[in-house]
Parts: sequence; C-alpha cells; structure tokens
Amino acid sequence: MTPGRTPLLALRQISKYFGAVEALVGVDLEVHAHEVVALVGDNGAGKSTLAKIVAGVLQPDSGLLEIEGAPVTLSSASAANRMGIASVFQDLALCENLDVTANVFLGQEVRNRAGILHDGEMETATRSLLRHLTVRIPSVRTPLRNLSGGQRQAVAIARTLIGNPRLVVLDEPTAALSVAQTAEVLTHIERLREMGLGVILISHNLNDVRAVSDRIEVLRHGRNNGSFRADATQEEILAAITGARSPSL
Amino acid sequence: MRGRLPVSGSQSSLREANRARVVDAVKRHGGLTQVELTGATGLSPATVSTIVKELLGAGMVEVRPAVRSGRRAQLVTLAHRVGLVAGVVVGYRHMRVAIADVTHDVVAEQTLPLPADHRCDTSLDRAALLVVDLLDRVGVGLDELLAIGLGIPAPVDASSGLVAVRGVLRGWDGVPVAQVLEKRLARPVFVDNDANLGALAESTVGAAREHHHSLYVRASHGVGAGVVIGGRLHRGVGGTAGEIGHVQVDPGGRICVCGSRGCLDTVVGIPALLEPLRTSHGNLTLRDVVALANEGDPGCREIVADAGATVGGVVANLATVMGPERVVVGGELAETGEVFLGPVREAVRRRTLLNQLTPLDVVPAELGMRAELMGAVVLALQSTDVFENADDGTQKGSL
Repeated sequence: MTPGRTPLLALRQISKYFGAVEALVGVDLEVHAHEVVALVGDNGAGKSTLAKIVAGVLQPDSGLLEIEGAPVTLSSASAANRMGIASVFQDLALCENLDVTANVFLGQEVRNRAGILHDGEMETATRSLLRHLTVRIPSVRTPLRNLSGGQRQAVAIARTLIGNPRLVVLDEPTAALSVAQTAEVLTHIERLREMGLGVILISHNLNDVRAVSDRIEVLRHGRNNGSFRADATQEEILAAITGARSPSL
Repeated sequence: MRGRLPVSGSQSSLREANRARVVDAVKRHGGLTQVELTGATGLSPATVSTIVKELLGAGMVEVRPAVRSGRRAQLVTLAHRVGLVAGVVVGYRHMRVAIADVTHDVVAEQTLPLPADHRCDTSLDRAALLVVDLLDRVGVGLDELLAIGLGIPAPVDASSGLVAVRGVLRGWDGVPVAQVLEKRLARPVFVDNDANLGALAESTVGAAREHHHSLYVRASHGVGAGVVIGGRLHRGVGGTAGEIGHVQVDPGGRICVCGSRGCLDTVVGIPALLEPLRTSHGNLTLRDVVALANEGDPGCREIVADAGATVGGVVANLATVMGPERVVVGGELAETGEVFLGPVREAVRRRTLLNQLTPLDVVPAELGMRAELMGAVVLALQSTDVFENADDGTQKGSL
C-alpha cells in the first residue's frame, strides 16, 4: 500500500519452461500486505503457472522469489504454507462427504494430548472463521455436497486462513458462480484485504477483477504486458490482454 | 448474538431463548429447512420441530415444501403475508440489494462490489439477477414481489426515470433506468436519487422520524442531500433538489463532471480526498480512509475532518434556507463518527440563526450505511398500494 515499503512477496524475472513451451519469461510481480493484485490474461498466458509457483507447487527454472525482501525457495506447497502463503485452486480440493469443519481442518486437524481429534475446538474455530468472513452457511456440520458453489468457495477460502497466512492466492474463484454467489465471494475478498492480507486474484472476468483489485497485472504469452490501477478502463486492460497495446516501455 | 441470550434460568426463559435463537437463524439466512435449523442453532431436531410449530401457530413464520439435495424438506421463512418488495441501491463501487416485507423488515440482503465506472447495462442486469437470487433464497417467486425501489447516485427525473443531469454518472445518460429493470423483472420499478432515499428512510423509520422538517446529508464518493419539508420529500425539478455536491465552494476551482466550476464534489469528492494521501499512504479506497481514521491515523483524520468542515459550511447555508429541525448525516464518511460529524456540527453552530430557539441537532444516520437501501424499500412500499394487494396476498396464503 505504502510506496517504497518492502513488498510482502516479490517475483523477479521468473521463467518457467515446459519442454519447448515458454510458460513464463522474465515475469515480475509484487504484492504488498493489504492489497489485492489481480492477474489477468488470455488462456495460456501463464496465470495459473505463476500462481502455482507462488503456491510452491511448481518451481521456477530461473528467477528470484522474495518474501519480505528475503530470497526464499518454495520447494513444496507445505513449504509455501509455512512461509504464510495459502492457495485455493480452481478445483477447490474439498471432500464432498465430509462436513464443513472437517474440510476446513483437512490435513491440519487439531488434536489433544492423546492424539484424539478435538472436534469441539475445531467447530468453534470454524464457526468464528465463517462469521469473520461473513459467510452464510447454516451449519458447520453440513456435508459439503449440500452446499452451493459460492458456499464451497467460501469454505475453501476459510480453510486457507487456518495457519494465519499473510498471502492468499485465489485461482478463478468466481468461475461458474451465480451473481449472488459471486457477490458473496467478492465480499470475502474485500474482507481478506481489510484483514491486512495480500491477495493474488486470478480471473477472466474483468468486471469482478476491477471491482475488488487495487492493481491489475496483465500477462500475455508468459510475459508482463502492463500494470494498471483499478480505475483503469476496461478498454485499456482488454487492449493489453489481447495485445492491441504493448506495455509502455 | 449468542451472548445476548440467557444461558440458564427457568424452563420458560430457556424456551424463550431457544425461540429467539430459531427466529434469529431464520432471519440471518432468509430461509432454512428444519434440518438446517438444527445445525444453525445447535438445538435438537425435536426442539426445533416444536418451536417451529409454535411460531407457525403464532403466525411468525411460514413453512413451505422445498427440495434440498434431492430430498423433500420443509423450508422455514419469516411470515410475510402481504408480499415483499425489493430495494436496490447502485453506488459508485458497490451495489446493495435487499428484500423486505411490508413492515420494513429485511428478510434477505446482499452486497456486490462493483468496478469503477461500471456499465449501466451490466449493473442493471446484475441487479435483476441478484433480486431473483435473493427471492429464491427466501423461497418466493417473482410474482409475490410487489415493487422494486431503485437508488442511483445521480438526480433522477421521477416521471421519466432518466438521469436528469448529463455527465454526472458516466454511461448512464439517456437510459430509462426504471424501464430497463422493469422489462427484466416484469414488476413495477420506482427510481430515485440515493441521498433522497436516505432522507426518505431516516424521516420514515430513522433518526428524523419524529421531525417534520429534516435534512439528510450523504457524504460518500460524492456529497448529496435530501430535503424533507412537512414530512414529505422535496424533489424539485428533475429531482435536483438537495444536490449540494454541486454547490459552488471554490470560485476559482476545478471544473466538475457537471460542467460547472468549483463544485463541493471537486473539493470533498473521493478523488479529491484520496489525492493528498497518495504520497504518504499510497493507494487507498474510501473504506480504507474510514477504517484508518477510526484507528486514529492522523493523516486520514485530518482529511476527513477538513471535509467535514467544508461540507458543514454548505449544510449550514442550506439549513438557513429551509429551516430544518434536525440534520442527519449518513454515508461512508459519517462512519468515522465525530471525526466527520464534529466539524459539520461546529460549522452549523457558528450560524446564529440556526440556533436561535434551540441548537440545531446534527446526528448520525440511525440506519447507518443501510439508510439508502432502506429508503429504496420505503419508496417501493409507498409507491405500491399495499391494501389492494393485501386481498391478493391472503388469498394466496389460504390456497
């Protein structure tokens, strides 16, 4: 937010190749705390690859990753998690047959000294987490299969907050949602920002992106193709996405 | 919520608490099945069933068949005998939609963040879809919707439904806003300016409900006011009454979007408020400034207080002309409390005439950020003949 302050996350000259495919070529990206940065671009522009690098799922072939100014290597998703980076991917990776609490705490369950699951504590934590995000889910004991798309997205977002992360990566959170559900998810993103987190938002929907982001970074053919403030017009951003306009260098 | 309810006590107070818990849950979620109520309240299925039966008998809730995950279920909603109305308020960066019954009780509500300079067609389209989605949440069809009240941040000519001043709301000029939404939803739509709606709500169910003459000031992305004289909203030609955002405060100032020079909005409108903070605080939104001012950030407090003093000067002049009993201040900036209200009050206090009999009250909006939304609901209710529809409603209920 404040210019000149060390960014929460900085990617410098990141490149990633899949054989002959140039997925990312010398990409730069900075995210500060209390900031929503949107990553937009055409299919195959490298948005998801970049997100996976930030999440620790993929490792860059070259380039530097810095967290609060210190260079780091994110060798796995759990390594990224330990550094305070949490991600929600398009498939959400939730379990249909488990209830909301079990999904939120999946793989990070709270146990008591005897190693037995601490259900009560987890339920209370889930309830307060959902309330904090102003999520409208009637019961934390509802199995996931009974929830709407927007509610599932909310559960996935709530799950990322368990380890008190500093940065949340959301990949296409509003894809295939109704307007009311989109409204809910966008409100959650605003809440994350107000909680002081950095957010990387990946989306195709310029309307949604421009509604909640502070900054919009355009990727095209795996390269940076412009950076816009949220009040930039839709036409300017579209021009950068389609290549009608090159970055002003 | 939960902390408010008695934890222990006699049988009857426990039952009372459980009833409140069930009503609370239904209110918060719009409509819930009995199974969901069990989860939401933590009560046993038997207790929920008993309480729902009691509430049904008392006419407080309605039960209708619904389908949840392929199974038949009983959807419990709050009783709304005569039908519902929708309130929609489109702002610069947010859209709020509420479904309310004839007693102004909101049964479902949703906020949608909007991009800067959002398009008229996209936004109205989303408004229509949101109304339908919310109705779906409370389990009623479009045919039970009596009317829709719509608020937009520009003066609207009530008869034609057009934005009365060109250029104030980019992309909305020449669009018959009410008709567009009416066509989508096939229900009557009534449109008005957002500050007028705030005034309507505050004078009907809010801080000025016991006053005949009141002034509502909305300090948000721009500044607007609603004038209530003799209990009635004064709209003026083309709905332009009370547009204090376009009162001249700086004769040598910048040109405003309306085309005039030095309007109040060019001095305290959001771009003008955020600009001086850019070097020190970086990229902020209006909500950030409000939050930071409340946390005690000196820079943001300074900006908000100065805006309060400038707005206060204009409000004092307007009050001298119309002689209100009370000034109600709403909008985002009013969320900073005395940081903004203090300087407004101070400016009003300095005018002798306004404080001859008793000091002129300057109070925050009782409905807070929901004033405009409630105003849209009130507008829809006032514009509809509820009694004519009442027979309709009861018939539908008995079927």
